[in-house]
Amino acid sequence: MSIENKVFSGDTLKVGYRFQRHWDNSMAYAFFCAELGAGLYFVSMLLGSMIGMIAGLVVVSTGKPYFHLAHMGVPGKSWRAMLRPDRSWISRGLWALAGMVAFSVLYLLCLAFGEQFGIRPDSALLWVLQILSGAFTLAVMVYQGFAMSHSSAIAIWSSAIMPMASLLYSLVVGVAVVRVLLPAPQAAALTGSLELLLLGLAVMHLMLLHSGWHGSPGARTSIELLLQTLYAKWFWGAVVAAGIVLPALLLWFAPSSAAVTVIVAVGILAGFMAWRILIFKIGVYEPIMSMNPFRSANT
Amino acid sequence: MARMGMVFDLKACIGCNACVVACKQENSLPDGVFFTKTLSEEYGVFPLAKRVYIPTICNHCEDAPCEKVCPSGATHTREDGIVMVDDDKCIGCNSCAVACPYDQRTQMDAEKFLKGLYGTGEITPFEEQGYGRYTPGTVTKCDFCSQRVDVGLDPACVVTCPTNARIFGDLDDPQSAPSKMIRERHGRQPLPEKNTKPKVYYVN
Amino acid sequence: MATPRKKLEPTANSLKSGRWVASSCKMCLHSCGNLIHVTDDGVINKIEGNPTNPSNNGKLCTKGNTPIMRHYDPARFKQPMRRTNPEKGVGIDPKWEPISWEEAFEITTREIKKSMDEDPRKILPSLEDFQKMNIWAWALSFGNFNFYQSGGTMCGGAYHPINGYIHSAFACANDAKYCNYWINNGTGDGFSSHLHAAAQSNWVAKARTERNMRIVSVEPRLSIGSAKAEEWVPIRPATDRHFALGMSHVLVNEGLCDYQFLKRDTNAPYLVGEDGYFIRDANRQCYMWDLESNSAKLWNDESIGEIALEGNYEIDGKPCRPAFQVYKDILEECTPEAMSEITTVPAETIRRIAREFAKAAQIGATMKLEDGRTVPFRPAAYNYYRGAQGRKTGSQTNHSFKLVNVLIGNIDVPGGHMGVVLDGKEIDLNHCQPGESGMLHPTPHQLGPVPPFDYPPNTYHLMDYFPVGVNPPHFNLLVHENREKFGVQFKPDVIVNCHSNPVWAIQGPREKWFDFLRSMRFIVCVDLIRTEMTDWADIILPSNDVLESWNCTMIEPPHTEGMSFRQPAVPPLYDTKSEEEIFYELSERLGVLAAYNDVVNKTLGFEGHPELMLEPDKKYTDKEIARRKGLLWNGKDIDWYMERGHSVTEKRLDKWYRPWEGNRLHFYIEDFLVHRDDLKQKMEAADVPFRHEWQWDDYQPLPTPVLDPVHNEPPEYDLYAITFKDIQLNFGESLSNPWIKELVYRDPVHTGLLLNPRTAAAKGLKQGSIVKVESPYGKLYGRINTSEGMQPETVGVSNALSRMRSKDSGVLPAGGHFNDMLPYDLRNTDGASGQPETVCKVKLTKLDDWPDFLKEGRTVYDLIEELETAKGKGGQH
Ligand SMILES: Nc1nc2c(c(=O)[nH]1)N[C@H]1C(S)=C(S)[C@@H](COP(=O)(O)OP(=O)(O)OC[C@H]3O[C@@H](n4cnc5c(=O)[nH]c(N)nc54)[C@H](O)[C@@H]3O)O[C@H]1N2
Ligand SMILES: Nc1nc2c(c(=O)[nH]1)N[C@H]1C(S)=C(S)[C@@H](COP(=O)(O)OP(=O)(O)OC[C@H]3O[C@@H](n4cnc5c(=O)[nH]c(N)nc54)[C@H](O)[C@@H]3O)O[C@H]1N2
Ligand code: SF4
Ligand code: SF4
Ligand code: SF4
Ligand code: SF4
Ligand code: SF4
Ligand SMILES: [Mo]
Repeated sequence: MSIENKVFSGDTLKVGYRFQRHWDNSMAYAFFCAELGAGLYFVSMLLGSMIGMIAGLVVVSTGKPYFHLAHMGVPGKSWRAMLRPDRSWISRGLWALAGMVAFSVLYLLCLAFGEQFGIRPDSALLWVLQILSGAFTLAVMVYQGFAMSHSSAIAIWSSAIMPMASLLYSLVVGVAVVRVLLPAPQAAALTGSLELLLLGLAVMHLMLLHSGWHGSPGARTSIELLLQTLYAKWFWGAVVAAGIVLPALLLWFAPSSAAVTVIVAVGILAGFMAWRILIFKIGVYEPIMSMNPFRSANT
Repeated sequence: MARMGMVFDLKACIGCNACVVACKQENSLPDGVFFTKTLSEEYGVFPLAKRVYIPTICNHCEDAPCEKVCPSGATHTREDGIVMVDDDKCIGCNSCAVACPYDQRTQMDAEKFLKGLYGTGEITPFEEQGYGRYTPGTVTKCDFCSQRVDVGLDPACVVTCPTNARIFGDLDDPQSAPSKMIRERHGRQPLPEKNTKPKVYYVN
Repeated sequence: MATPRKKLEPTANSLKSGRWVASSCKMCLHSCGNLIHVTDDGVINKIEGNPTNPSNNGKLCTKGNTPIMRHYDPARFKQPMRRTNPEKGVGIDPKWEPISWEEAFEITTREIKKSMDEDPRKILPSLEDFQKMNIWAWALSFGNFNFYQSGGTMCGGAYHPINGYIHSAFACANDAKYCNYWINNGTGDGFSSHLHAAAQSNWVAKARTERNMRIVSVEPRLSIGSAKAEEWVPIRPATDRHFALGMSHVLVNEGLCDYQFLKRDTNAPYLVGEDGYFIRDANRQCYMWDLESNSAKLWNDESIGEIALEGNYEIDGKPCRPAFQVYKDILEECTPEAMSEITTVPAETIRRIAREFAKAAQIGATMKLEDGRTVPFRPAAYNYYRGAQGRKTGSQTNHSFKLVNVLIGNIDVPGGHMGVVLDGKEIDLNHCQPGESGMLHPTPHQLGPVPPFDYPPNTYHLMDYFPVGVNPPHFNLLVHENREKFGVQFKPDVIVNCHSNPVWAIQGPREKWFDFLRSMRFIVCVDLIRTEMTDWADIILPSNDVLESWNCTMIEPPHTEGMSFRQPAVPPLYDTKSEEEIFYELSERLGVLAAYNDVVNKTLGFEGHPELMLEPDKKYTDKEIARRKGLLWNGKDIDWYMERGHSVTEKRLDKWYRPWEGNRLHFYIEDFLVHRDDLKQKMEAADVPFRHEWQWDDYQPLPTPVLDPVHNEPPEYDLYAITFKDIQLNFGESLSNPWIKELVYRDPVHTGLLLNPRTAAAKGLKQGSIVKVESPYGKLYGRINTSEGMQPETVGVSNALSRMRSKDSGVLPAGGHFNDMLPYDLRNTDGASGQPETVCKVKLTKLDDWPDFLKEGRTVYDLIEELETAKGKGGQH
């Protein structure tokens, strides 16, 4: 059964697949910012790039809340989102975000100005701050994936691949962008890891396609949407070609240069943005109930 | 303790959507917003073609994913099992909307109230007396007409249904009309594989 | 997770502080009981069914849930208005200018009077409120029999006369209380349209779920009823009579009839001579054949031993046959095989359904009623309406369906096929009267008196020549185009329109109807909202709506009797008046007040009740008329009705089951021959020039298998087109109601021209293709929705796809109008009843894009596309 034979009910009274439309593009941008910022911060922290850390932190603390608030129906009450960390990944994420920002700022302040206050670079405090900010950052890097995979409503989201994707993409964009900020030799040293990460990304996408295709009707439908509709060109063009294949080829074959580094980063960012938007767009609800005896077999 | 639920009799339902309008009347819903919808599905090949009418509504799930994901605590379950959204607490994050496998959540955008039911920007006295109950931006859904239930009335959609295809009552009471119907006519829940334990059943 | 309940002011509309008003609905022409909730601030915020009303049992249909949205419609007419733009046309803004009532009445009476003084026939009334027959009959007060409302044409032109003949009733329904085998043929009885959708669907659902009543639906389309049916029998359009004849062939030839009933309760045994008339004695009494004595005996001769239904006999050397034998002879060629070729329904299916039907009828079974009578119990019934009856051969067609019922003896008995009166009061006025020779007095004219024969004609629609029929308003156009040919010596130039949208509802190309309207000097419309018709008005007289007015009636109640009472829930929102006030004012100013009161007395049944009779020179309010109708029904005054909202009870058994007891029903309608020959002779005598074109063959005492002319259109018109209403729609009228509109255009049945996917593929079309649909008479444009629920030769056009743009009305135009494709000529009109053909042959042409006129402004299809692609918050998918 292919996509043409499927009923999409839109906003009509037909039994059929319904598109996820509640999380809009601004939510996709918020996710993008969170993962980009957190990934960049995390990678920069590992590499000790102050500018990368600051850049990551800025992205997380401005872009993410901005787009979240833009999405929120009652922005004035957004603080309430913190109230249920016991069960809601959104709440947990918010705590993670708050933790990341708080500890990272402290960490950065200590790094920058600590010595004036007698905090030595190898002090335990700095070490603890780094661990805490790193841990919260890691949480930010994965929680959105958990927020998506946590519920069973949208089958293509409802899998461990979502947090995995979040983590992988965070790292990939983190490395890609930090390469632009680092001096050339340091950037070049990261080529291998980036290639490895891109390979991981490719594997992740293959897993998603595979498990979706052979998964529940809803997941299958999402993959069909991805591969057989107008989304296909964005998927192949942006996510795969610009976001994985082109950077990988450049990293392998092109002589390293600033321009190449930038192109690689831009390609990866474009691929990531496309992926963030597409994964929202291809999300579908399964038909609430079907009486069609012929349906279950082939949907 | 009561556990309120509903049964849809698919044999009876004629897809008239009177229930939908009754709900819109009772709840002053803006244009394009529905707390219940009766869908239709056509299958088979001529001349053995069939069409069924399938009412849908919030299932007041026992393991309600919408409640689990709600970061603000706005979504909660009453003692009698009715899943409620507290308008004052909801932040409009739509997490519940993407978590509900039945797509039963709607965000009450401010613009919906401004356009008015006639789409002209003119707000009728009917709308004026009713829209105040909503906070623009919040995400809401059917509440089983909880206020009617509190005073012993059936939900508005149930009352109007010309074919009695909507049967409402306490699922914990084995003698209630819905309990009997579920038992005798092998009620099935929508999308059971989503593990939400709906309190809405369908019989054929 | 339990949280304590909050104690808050209720937000649910029905629970807010306020009061409930017991009233009745009018979102279709029926009259279900409702309760209207009004808040302390005087806002109407909820309407529910009235559970004390045993008709609708507290239920309301889709439309019945929406009066609030008509009441508060900002586009309602808010005060009288005068047109300032002399140019008239569709979509052309009349540039309304508010005027005072005084001025409006003055202009209106001046303009009407101008014509009335010259020739009262120059006035064309179009008054179609079924709930207010007192307004409907207004023009009779100046002897005017013109008729421009649609009632009759697309509706029940032949249906009502045949019901009048058989049951002496207006309409029919199956008895859902006991029926077990229910055939619906081209009707939504119990599912979508037909009578009291809310009430009847409640009864039918109970029968289906509690008794497993079997439904067989014979229709070209998988309608709601077909979808719910145990068996859907797709049929080629306009061949339903042949299906019924095929069934009858089986019933008659396999001995599956209720012979007792036929012999005792019908004229089936009456002996028919070669000329088709009954053989009569000098006193005009009819004969039957006594098999015992082998001789003819008068119908009331008590010495008759065994009545013959079959056989060929002779009286005084003249051959004769019982009417039943006449039918049997006709049916000989109507084998299931032969009928299968015409209907496309397999012969085996016709045969099986006939057998199942007869079996379910339990012929011979009886039931003891609570009133002590023992009556036949026949829990099988065949109902039909607009889709099946709307034929050029309407009289024969309706008769053929009726006879399927008559053959199994289910007429007006428990579980059977029941006569239903127009207004409840008729029940009490004893709607069944004895006629000649033991037969029931036939009442083909259910809508009041008809004009006597005259030539030149006195009506613009030739009603002078329909001694049997309802009214063929489409002939207004036929005559208009050729007055000379029809010898019409006057030309109407004023239209008085109330509660009617003829320019939408009647067949024939709109463009020609527009010319017709342009030829009018003055048009006044009494309406609430903008419609295709009000766009042509010169003066608008706005009326109160159903929530602001008084009335007392009961329209076509399937199971109940009594009055549905309407009372204002709130005072009028705007400067509007009741229809009564408007027509009394007009009558007084035109000097016909006394005559009008006389007409109302007759129409509403006040005549013969001195205490209720309206006085000649007084004007009455809607409230007073409602009060008197309540009194007429049960002697209860208005306070009683205001408290209860109705006096509805289940039908009294003597009026429901066999109300004609003791009279024989018209199996054989000799009356058609009587009227035919009388009319022929009068036309001959008056030398009526078009008499040779008159469709004399349509006068048949029994149905025949003749083909309707629609099947003989040129072969390039290779498909049929049909139209339908469904439960959400009141014709197309309710589409200005936002609650209806948002549902209808989400329902795949109403969002495209329905076509079987294989037919579509064969024509290179698919889901979404834009097409031109052309009949020999007109065309429309649309988008294909493929559906396996369509008979492969049929295109289905919902009424929701036939509206026109009218300024500020909120109604979206689609691609034209189904009615444009229908003929309005003599050839396609039943000469006996005036019923025109309501399906047409069409051809489809694929288009690359919409024609230009549909690209301007927003159409139905723009809305549908938005909904189908669901631009949600997340943007378009
Ligand atoms: N909801 C609702 N109820 C109504 C009304 C309304 O407007 N809305 N109007 C009232 C009035 S005035 C009337 S006259 C009645 C009419 O009541 P119905 O006769 O039930 O009304 P329709 O829906 O016009 O026609 C019935 C069916 O005929 C089918 N049909 C069309 N052509 C053919 C054909 O050639 N053969 C067969 N077998 N079927 C065909 C159509 O698909 C349609 O489903 O309803 C009354 N009740
Ligand atoms: N294509 C197509 N044509 C059809 C039919 C069909 O199914 N399809 N059905 C046919 C049948 S069965 C019939 S009976 C006719 C019906 O034809 P009409 O009787 O002309 O029916 P409506 O279109 O409902 O028009 C009724 C008018 O009354 C107005 N109105 C509503 N409420 C009130 C009120 O309280 N007071 C006043 N003064 N006005 C009011 C409405 O605005 C509307 O203009 O159409 C026939 N024509
Ligand atoms: S009102 Fe009843 S019959 Fe009509 S759609 Fe709703 S559930 Fe079905
Ligand atoms: S149906 Fe959806 S909204 Fe309703 S309780 Fe279940 S998950 Fe929540
Ligand atoms: S939109 Fe409101 S109810 Fe839904 S999850 Fe967010 S806060 Fe909770
Ligand atoms: S139970 Fe009440 S709120 Fe829910 S769909 Fe029915 S009428 Fe609407
Ligand atoms: S059937 Fe007619 S009268 Fe009855 S509720 Fe529906 S619209 Fe009103
Ligand atoms: Mo009608």
